[in-house]
Amino acid sequence: MSEAAVPRGLEGEGPLVALIGQPNCGKSTLFNALAGFKANTGNFPGTSVAFTRSDVLVAGLPMRLIDLPGTYSLHPYDAAEQVTRDFLLSGQVDAIVAVVDASVLSRSLELTLELIETGLPLVIALNMMDDARRKGITIDVPALEARLGVPVVPTVATRGHGVVQVALKALHASRTRQSGILPTYDRDIEESLGTLIQAMPAELSVRMRVPTRFLAARLLQDDEAVRQAVGKAHPEVLTLADTQRRLLAEMHDWPEESVFSSHRHAAAMDLFEDVARVVRRTRDGWRERTDDVLMHPFWGIVGVVAALGGLFVASFFVGDRLAGVVGAPFEALMDAIGDRADTSLVWAMTRGLVEGLAGGAGIVLPYLVPLLLLMSFMEDVGYLPRAAFLIDGLLHRIGLHGKSVIPLVLGYGCNVPALMGTRILETTRDRVITALLVPLTACSARTVVILALVAGYLGPLWALGVYVLNILVTALVGRILSAVVPGHAPGLLMDIPPYRLPPAGTLARKTWFRIREFLVEAWPVLIVASIVMGALQFAGADDWLNGLLAPLTSGVLGLPAVVGVTLFFGILRKELSLVLLYSALGTANVASVMTPAQILTFTLFVTFYIPCVATIATQVREIGWRWTLVSAALNTGVAILVAATLGRLA
Amino acid sequence: MTLAQAVPGTRVRVVGRNRGRRHEANLAGLGIHVGDEVIVVRSAPFDGPLLVEVPASGVRIAVGRGMANGLFVEPADE
Repeated sequence: MSEAAVPRGLEGEGPLVALIGQPNCGKSTLFNALAGFKANTGNFPGTSVAFTRSDVLVAGLPMRLIDLPGTYSLHPYDAAEQVTRDFLLSGQVDAIVAVVDASVLSRSLELTLELIETGLPLVIALNMMDDARRKGITIDVPALEARLGVPVVPTVATRGHGVVQVALKALHASRTRQSGILPTYDRDIEESLGTLIQAMPAELSVRMRVPTRFLAARLLQDDEAVRQAVGKAHPEVLTLADTQRRLLAEMHDWPEESVFSSHRHAAAMDLFEDVARVVRRTRDGWRERTDDVLMHPFWGIVGVVAALGGLFVASFFVGDRLAGVVGAPFEALMDAIGDRADTSLVWAMTRGLVEGLAGGAGIVLPYLVPLLLLMSFMEDVGYLPRAAFLIDGLLHRIGLHGKSVIPLVLGYGCNVPALMGTRILETTRDRVITALLVPLTACSARTVVILALVAGYLGPLWALGVYVLNILVTALVGRILSAVVPGHAPGLLMDIPPYRLPPAGTLARKTWFRIREFLVEAWPVLIVASIVMGALQFAGADDWLNGLLAPLTSGVLGLPAVVGVTLFFGILRKELSLVLLYSALGTANVASVMTPAQILTFTLFVTFYIPCVATIATQVREIGWRWTLVSAALNTGVAILVAATLGRLA
Repeated sequence: MTLAQAVPGTRVRVVGRNRGRRHEANLAGLGIHVGDEVIVVRSAPFDGPLLVEVPASGVRIAVGRGMANGLFVEPADE
C-alpha cells in the first residue's frame, strides 16, 4: 500500500498479470499450467508464500505472470496475505486474474468484489468446475459476466481446460484497461461512502494509484494501512471516516469493525443466489467415509502415525532396492580405481569425482525419489490440513499453534520452503518459534543419511526410532521455546479442503521438479566437494581439519576423528556428510570401521546439527540474523546433547 | 452457549462473537459470519478444534477450541 513498497526486478516484456485467489483455489495449478510447471502446488492453505514469476508467451504475445500467495480478503491477517495486498496495490499490476474456486463460489465472490473495487482490469478464472458440478452447483456464466462486467472463463486447471483462454482474456483486459462493475451497497453505506469521497482530496487517489471509492471503502473497514497513508496528510478524513463508521454501526446494530464487510458478504450472497443453482447436495460418499476414519479422534491419530511411518518405511524399502541396483556398477568402478587412488593428485581427485557421482546416483537418489513422490501425494491429496486438525490439540498443550504442523511437516521434505511456509502463522511469536523448530526436522537430505546408515546397518526399526526421537526432541524444544518466548498461540482457523485425487501427470511433474532441484543444485555441489575432498586428502589437509574438530568428534561424541571433515562439509549439503563419509573412511562398508553405536551417534549428530547453507540463508531472510544465530546455537547444542547422550547409552 | 459447547452433528446459528478476539483471525474471510447457520461435523481429540461446515457455501473449516469458546451460537431448526 505504501508508496515505498513497489517491488523491484519486475522489468520485462509484456503486461504484468497477477494471479490472485483464496488459498487452495487451484491458483498455483493454473499458474503452473501456464508457466510449464515451475512452481509448487499443494492441496492445503499456504503453499505459495513468496510470489513466483514466470515470463510466458501466449499466442506469441509476451506476458509477465505473477503467482501471489493465497488470501481470503484484502484485509491481511498474516505475512503471506500482506505480500499479496502490497503487491496488488503497488501500481505495477496491469491486470488481475481472479482465480475462483467454483465449488465454494459464494465465499470466493467476496474477494472478487474487493478486487473489482481496486479498479484494476480483471478476468475471472472460474476454477474447479468439476468439483462444483459434483457438489450439484450449476453456475450461469453469462449472468455472472453481466453482473460483474468482467470476462468469466470456466476452467479445470488440473486438466488444463480453459487455461489459454484465461491468459488471452487477461492480455486483452490489460490493453483495454476495462475494470468491472462496482458493487452497490445499501443506501446508508452508499451515503457514507459518498460523504467520505467528497471529503477526500483527489491527490490521495493519484498518489496511491487506486480509486477514491476504494480508499473510502477501506477507511470504513478500519483498514490500518490505508489509515496511516491517508492520516499523514489528511487527519480530518480519518475523523470523518470514524464518525461515519460509528454511525453505520449504530444504524445497523452491528459491530463497527464488520459493518462494512457484512454488507459485502450480503452483496456476494445476493450475487451467488442470482447466478448459481444448487440442485442437490448429497453427501459425497467416499470422501465422507474416508474422513470418518482419517479424522476420527482415535483412528485419525493412528492414521497420522501410520502415514508418517509408512512414508519412511516405504521410502526405505523402495530406496534400498534401488540403491542395490543403481549403486552396484559404481561400487565396481570404485573398487577398480581404489588401489591406485593415492598415487597422484589426479587420481585422488578422480576418485573424488567418481565418489561424488556414485553418492548422488547410487545413494541419495534411490531414497529421494520414493520419498518425494509420496510426500507430493500427501500434500496434493489434502491430508496435511487434516493432520493439523488432529494434532492441534496436542500442539496447543505444548504452547504451539496448530498451523505450525504444516511448516513442520513440510520441513521433513525440505527446510527451505518450510521456513517460507511459516508466513501462514498470524503472530511473530509463532513464526519465530516455528522457524527455530523447522531446522530440527529431518529433511529429505537427512532422511537419506538416516536410511542409508541407520536403516542400512542397524535395521529399519532403528531408523524409525531415530525419526520418533527427532519428533520427540522437536516437540520438547518447542515446549521449552514456547515457555521462554512470551505471548500465547491464538486459536486455529483453517480451511479443510475436500480430498482431491491429483492426476498422475501432475504428481509426476511435481516430483520431477523437486528431483531436478537436487540434480542441478545439489548434485554438482556434492561432486565438487567430493573432488575437493580428494585433493585435501592428497595434501593431508583433511588431517588438519579433523584434528581441529577432534575434541568434538572423538572427544565428546566418541567417533573416529576422520569424520570431522565430513561434518564440516555437511554444512553445505547434508548429503555430503554421507557421501564424504565413504571416502573419509576409505571404504563403502561403514560397519567395518565404525561400531553400530558410532553409526547411530554420527547419524543423530548429522540429523540435528547446523542446517545447510540454503536453510541458513532463508532463515536470515525470514526471521533475521539474531534469531538465525540463536537457531544455529540451538541446533548444535541439541545435536551434541542428543548424540553424546544416546551414543553413550547404545 | 458457545460453539465449543455444541454437540457434534448438530446445526447451530452464529449469533455473536467475543469482541476481544476479533483481530486474531479472519473468521469472515474464511466464510463464517454472524447470522450464518453452521453444522458441527466432528471434533478433534485432546481438546482440539471443531470441524464446522457452512451449508450455505459448502465450506469446511477447522475452528480451534479457543476460537470456538469466543463464538456464541444458538440451536437452529433443521
